[in-house]
Amino acid sequence: MPNNDEVLLRVEHLCQYFKMGGAELKAVDDVSFDIKKGEVFGLVGESGCGKTTTGRSIIKIYDITSGDIYFKGIRIGAGIRSYKNNKANARKEYKEKIAQETDPSKKKALSDELKAYIKEQNNQIKAAKYDQKNCDKEYQQKSVAEVKEKYLPLIEKASADEKNAINKEYSNELRKARKTKLVTQIQMIFQDPIASLDPRMTVRETISEGLVIQGEKNKKVIDEKVYEMLELVGLVREHAARYPHEFSGGQRQRIGVARSIIMNPDLIIADEPVSALDVSIQAQVINLLNDLREKFGLTIMFIAHDLSVVKYFSNRIGVMYFGKMVELATSDELFKNPLHPYTKSLLSAIPLPDPEYEKQRKRIVYNPLESHDYSVSKPRMQEITPGHFVYCNDEEFEKYKTELK
Amino acid sequence: MNTEKKLSVKNLTISFRTSNGKVQAVRGIDFDLYKGETLAIVGESGSGKSVTSKAILGILAGNSIVEGGEIIYDGKDLLKISEDDFHKIRGDKIAMIFQDPMSSLNPIVRIGRQLTEAMILKGKARQKESRKNFNDKLGLLCENMKKALAPNDPEKAKEIELKCKQFDKFEYKHLDLEKEYNLAHEAASEAVFDLENLIFELSKNSKRDLNYRINNDKKLALKSIQKYVVNERAEELKTLVSTISSEYSKSKKSDDFTGLMDVLTKVKDILSEALTFTQPNFFSMGYYLTYSNQELPDMNVEELNAFLRKYLDDNFMLEFIKEEKEAIIYSANESYREKEEAITFLRNNMDVFKKDNLNKAECIAAWKSLSKEVREGIDKLELVKDSFAYTFSSGLKTEIDAYFTAIVKNEKETKRFNRDTVKYNKLKEKGKDPDWKVIPAAISDLELKKYNIVHQVERLCEHYENKIKTRDSRDYDAEAIAMIDYLKEQASGVVTKVTPTMAKNKAIKLMEEVGIPEPRKRYRQYPFEFSGGMRQRIVIAIALAANPDILICDEPTTALDVTIQSQILELINDFKKRRDLSVIFITHDLGVVANMADRVAVMYAGKIVEYGTSDDIFYHAAHPYTWALLSSMPDLDTNEKLDAIPGTPPNMIYPPVGDAFAQRNKYAMKIDFERQPPMFKITDTHYAATWLLHPDAPKIDPPKAITDRIERMRRRRGENNAE
Repeated sequence: MPNNDEVLLRVEHLCQYFKMGGAELKAVDDVSFDIKKGEVFGLVGESGCGKTTTGRSIIKIYDITSGDIYFKGIRIGAGIRSYKNNKANARKEYKEKIAQETDPSKKKALSDELKAYIKEQNNQIKAAKYDQKNCDKEYQQKSVAEVKEKYLPLIEKASADEKNAINKEYSNELRKARKTKLVTQIQMIFQDPIASLDPRMTVRETISEGLVIQGEKNKKVIDEKVYEMLELVGLVREHAARYPHEFSGGQRQRIGVARSIIMNPDLIIADEPVSALDVSIQAQVINLLNDLREKFGLTIMFIAHDLSVVKYFSNRIGVMYFGKMVELATSDELFKNPLHPYTKSLLSAIPLPDPEYEKQRKRIVYNPLESHDYSVSKPRMQEITPGHFVYCNDEEFEKYKTELK
Repeated sequence: MNTEKKLSVKNLTISFRTSNGKVQAVRGIDFDLYKGETLAIVGESGSGKSVTSKAILGILAGNSIVEGGEIIYDGKDLLKISEDDFHKIRGDKIAMIFQDPMSSLNPIVRIGRQLTEAMILKGKARQKESRKNFNDKLGLLCENMKKALAPNDPEKAKEIELKCKQFDKFEYKHLDLEKEYNLAHEAASEAVFDLENLIFELSKNSKRDLNYRINNDKKLALKSIQKYVVNERAEELKTLVSTISSEYSKSKKSDDFTGLMDVLTKVKDILSEALTFTQPNFFSMGYYLTYSNQELPDMNVEELNAFLRKYLDDNFMLEFIKEEKEAIIYSANESYREKEEAITFLRNNMDVFKKDNLNKAECIAAWKSLSKEVREGIDKLELVKDSFAYTFSSGLKTEIDAYFTAIVKNEKETKRFNRDTVKYNKLKEKGKDPDWKVIPAAISDLELKKYNIVHQVERLCEHYENKIKTRDSRDYDAEAIAMIDYLKEQASGVVTKVTPTMAKNKAIKLMEEVGIPEPRKRYRQYPFEFSGGMRQRIVIAIALAANPDILICDEPTTALDVTIQSQILELINDFKKRRDLSVIFITHDLGVVANMADRVAVMYAGKIVEYGTSDDIFYHAAHPYTWALLSSMPDLDTNEKLDAIPGTPPNMIYPPVGDAFAQRNKYAMKIDFERQPPMFKITDTHYAATWLLHPDAPKIDPPKAITDRIERMRRRRGENNAE
């Protein structure tokens, strides 16, 4: 369990809507959470509840509809839908107010207020659009500046013989610095190890692709790095020249892991990395991820639907249901005191390898219409005990509190 | 537990031809499946569990070779029967649910069509088949009756022939009557079904296709007026139907549909009452109408049935049955005589197959004569077909062919092997290191093939001897009555038609049964409009449509998430109980196995390594592979590092000499690398193939992870009970 409270990734009011004909599909709807450095954050829920979409939105595979994503304090993703809605709502509101008002001077004051508000929102939209597009630019400038700072004095000091060599090194580093991206520090491991590897690339090409894109040209360095990664994930050097089809499922998933850790990431998003694997291989991959985590202090966001694995692997767990986060707590707390009825139903469905227990196990059925009455007060995320959040309205909040006592 | 064996697999061996060599996927497995139980087959991918299930269903890939063994279902060996015979078993008796529901449904055909397609096709096929069966059986019966009762008496023979024709003739009348009744009855049931929906929809203020549907229902209601369906209230129904149109236009103008609904409800009530009436006995009615030259007496249906039955029995049936029984006895005796002859003939002519080098021409000649002899021994009048004798000819031919193809193949293989070795050695001499290996020659054992041929013949002899032994215990009276029932059943099969509407009603009922909400709406949708769990439900509905005996589930929940998984498992368990199904459940998730299985077989590298009840496997596991499987998956209380099984399963092109699991086994002993362990018996129900169970082996306790878990689960159960 990590003892520092440094927040690595913060997701605020993330919304991801997809257009489906005329209608909109709310795949992720107003989800907020943060991931602390060095922890494993598990995300569970049934298929179609938006877990994978959340992961993909974070590494910017999709342009998010609304909300903000902060990585290491820098906003890497921002949506504009909420500001647009704000604008529309304000216009409506003020229109009514102005219509009711009779005094012309007050009318003027109100419309000025509205204009100011809209201007502010427009600025927000601009800023969001800028961040969404250029979040890496500032980071690049910063790293370029760092390189310059390091090498320029060296070049001045250096003698004529050394100057050539240092100059070469400097230009090399500068090229790399210009190509660095903040987002590459977040890497993803995909669910299907067969579909996520290019069948026409050798393992070496697959693993080193990220390095090459980042401007590494020295073949020796690349090879060394690839070998190091292969050995790290439990494969051997000879495997580098082979093609993905020559490997078994577990080995392929190891290649996927190697590909993601070669970029030296701080955060790994593992999207159901073991669901497509056999039991015995599953344990191998989980152990591997665990080892890597200890070695590099990796932070992992672990998306899965197998609750036993998530429980074993994660420090904190978020439960999602139809695009909403319904419960968020440390894993022990969640399994000991599940509060939201959906979590309860999810936990009651886990099959365990014990026939006697299985005979007694009764599944709890979750029906959102029966369980909640949100007609009066609207639900939101509320903290029941420190670190234990549940999506509920005030009435349920009290109920859950008494339940815990 | 029920001890009726439904399916038994014996020494099944299957391999696949690939460009790299022969992959031995299944290496001699045995298991039985009892009625109403769930047998789980557990193992990693590539352990041969899916191959086994596909072999049972006869859908192995084209490059597969069944090297030996048998799968006995209903007295037939599924590996030997013809494709035509398999059509009657596959789907009908043994159904399968596949892993991926998306790829087992046709994406461009509506769900409804996919559900009803098989029903309609099977219905059509059944009609044709019934007609043929009826004619064949009656012809045979007539012949045998003539032989038995009037061997040298042409007049008596003529009389008998006349009787059989009589049977045929009044059978036609029976069919006409029944057809008429069926049409009306079906129209009534369709109308009731549709009217219920219509009234419901009207009460919800939905008016889709209203005009068309009302006209259709009017037609159906008038169609259902028939002597035995809607008779007494026919006039009432007619007047009601005639008012529908005016009521409809009135309602349309005022936009108030209560009046129309009232009329429709009345019509529906009349029809649904009509559906509850007893069906008259058309069989005897057919006889009465054809031969009595009288009108039907005026009685209610029950009395009429009794009267007709008596008339039929007195005038025709009792005598016919008596004569029929004679015929059956005659035919049986004939066949026993033939059988005895066949046994002696087979025993005398078997030497052809026992020589050192078989002669092909001789073998084929012997095969021909033997098959002829065996065929003559079959009692054709028997209702339960002696499948063993029927399949003897083709089975023997397959074995003979296998022998002669093996000779040619062996020659080829040796040649190739020699050529390769020479090439390899030459390269070696030159000092090069070739990057390929010489694949060892795959020589099939000719002695074994020969033994198979002889064994085939010997088994038939034993089978015939058994039949002769049990000849005294046959009940000819029952058989004679069964014969009449059979003829009647086949006759009514000719007129029972599965119409699209009937199939649709059945499909919708089935969809409701598997838990699909709004089945009527869903019926018209495409597979992509369903979620994963719903799709799997559809697949289950299709599998259960034909009311199978055995259901094979090949990882049905691996692609689904936890909640849906437990719903599907509950559904399968529920159906198992309700229909007394035998289920073969294939999975690699031990949690699921604990939920479902009565007995468990653990497979590794094409062999069953442990076999027992689910308590045996989960609480007293004995094989290191089972231990490894159990301890490699985390549960809710696991905190320590997982015991992963190192490495991967062996390459089955070159299966290991000793225990296949030895290389990944931390408890492996020296003998594990040298010899394959036999099955050791632990208790009556529990077997395991590991040398650890040998009396000389060191005692090793199961890993701590497992004992801990058992202990933990016991405490957890205790807590639950206390609550």
